[in-house]
Amino acid sequence: MQTLDLHFMWEAFFIALSGAPITLLITVVALLISIPVGFFFSLIRLNGTPILDQLCRIYISFVRGTPLIIQIFLIYNVMPILLERFLRSTHSTLSVFDVNPIWYAFVVFSLYTIAILTEVFRSALKTVQKSQLEAAHSVGLSTCAAYRRIIIPQALVTALPNLCNATTNLIKNTSLCYALSLREITLRAKVAANPGYNYIEAYIDIFLVYLLICSLVEYGFKKYEKKLKAYQCLSA
Amino acid sequence: MLEVREIRKAFGNQEVLSGISFSIEKGDVAVILGPSGSGKTTLLRCLEFFEQADSGEVLFDDIDVDLRNVTKEQIKAIRQKTAFVFQNYNLFNNKTALENVLEGLVIGRKIPKKEAEAIAKEALDKVGLSDKYAYYPSQLSGGQQQRVGIARAIALSPEIIFFDEPTSALDPELIGEVLATMKKIAKEGTTMLVVTHEMSFAQDVANKIIFMDGGSIVEEGTPRQIFTEPKEERTRQFLKRMLPEYTYYI
Ligand SMILES: Nc1ncnc2c1ncn2[C@@H]1O[C@H](COP(=O)(O)OP(=O)(O)OP(=O)(O)O)[C@@H](O)[C@H]1O
Ligand SMILES: [Mg+2]
Repeated sequence: MQTLDLHFMWEAFFIALSGAPITLLITVVALLISIPVGFFFSLIRLNGTPILDQLCRIYISFVRGTPLIIQIFLIYNVMPILLERFLRSTHSTLSVFDVNPIWYAFVVFSLYTIAILTEVFRSALKTVQKSQLEAAHSVGLSTCAAYRRIIIPQALVTALPNLCNATTNLIKNTSLCYALSLREITLRAKVAANPGYNYIEAYIDIFLVYLLICSLVEYGFKKYEKKLKAYQCLSA
Repeated sequence: MLEVREIRKAFGNQEVLSGISFSIEKGDVAVILGPSGSGKTTLLRCLEFFEQADSGEVLFDDIDVDLRNVTKEQIKAIRQKTAFVFQNYNLFNNKTALENVLEGLVIGRKIPKKEAEAIAKEALDKVGLSDKYAYYPSQLSGGQQQRVGIARAIALSPEIIFFDEPTSALDPELIGEVLATMKKIAKEGTTMLVVTHEMSFAQDVANKIIFMDGGSIVEEGTPRQIFTEPKEERTRQFLKRMLPEYTYYI
């Protein structure tokens, strides 16, 4: 049996790691977009008109009920066509081929994460009893202030484990970006493995890099959760 | 000060309040009595606008609200004059006792933090919780939580405080401390509208009793009138059930 090429593995680890900024960029952009939008959608699902609620539900089941890789291919193939039409109609000199594929990744992963977070926020908000809102109203808080100061802080505590889950899933799912030829963690390591067929070493490296990133993220969430939970733990 | 005219409220096609009218003067301690399901909670909830009444009128000092078309400003104006003490306390779970009281002062009433803190501490001291400022609701007993609830209400110096069965979620041995607190603030002249099944409070502290049944006011009067010479048979039956010793009054 062939042994592992440890020297290659060592070098390729850093090659894989050098893809981390792209992975993290996609993750952060997707989260920055989908946290507010997902929160807004969750409010629609809880308090909105039946029609809007239904639209959100269709959107969510579409995103959650289809493979992410197909969504990526779809956006990757459909967006340029739409974009080209748009560019032509505005007589722009830009060409669709100049568009960095990372923009497609932003779009796909935002659309995907919005659907996930809408459900995360919805179930978290539902755990805070309506009477908390009434109590806030009775002391003169507006609904907006009540959400900001009373309801969201409590909902966040329940949402945090799921939010952590969604984030690590998102990080792992960005490995599908190889389909967009984005030079993130997975693709970089695979390319490095090509000349010497060191695929096993490369996969182990990829594995380790994701493990490292996800562990750090989980650690951060756990710490934050502990801090937020202070008011509950004290009772024990 | 507060006058309520012909409040009506139905859930679906079940009429829960069928034209309630009464009035309350400054300094009154009014107790609403009535069997379960008679609409007492619903009445208080309509007055605090947690529930939208179908029709009726609320006159509060110079504010005149037609319940059929209430504006946001009117709701806000009425809530500025009222406070609510809940059956299940409903303290803000993510805030300490002191922060619970501060919240309405600082955010609701826009009182500067320093000043608000003095008011909040005074309110907590009054309900006997001067050693519990930094405790979260989950660290307090039911009786203590309800006293924080009362402190949260009185700190706002509202013109009237609504109490919805403030002691009925409490263990029997904790009821006394809450009733004593309520009695204390009543003696200080706080205007109160109290739904309760505590007959001792109704007899000793209230100056006005409203007896409700089936969504209507059956009879109202002073505790003396209601407890010693009720006019209505339904009132008599109710009191007989609530006060086993009631027969002695006749
Ligand atoms: N949100 C609601 N939806 C439908 N029906 C309701 C609702 N709230 C109250 N009711 C009904 O209205 C009636 C009056 O309820 P309410 O809670 O006002 O009675 P109550 O006098 O406070 O009774 P209790 O002494 O048990 O607290 C009951 O029959 C109840 O089932
Ligand atoms: Mg009730």
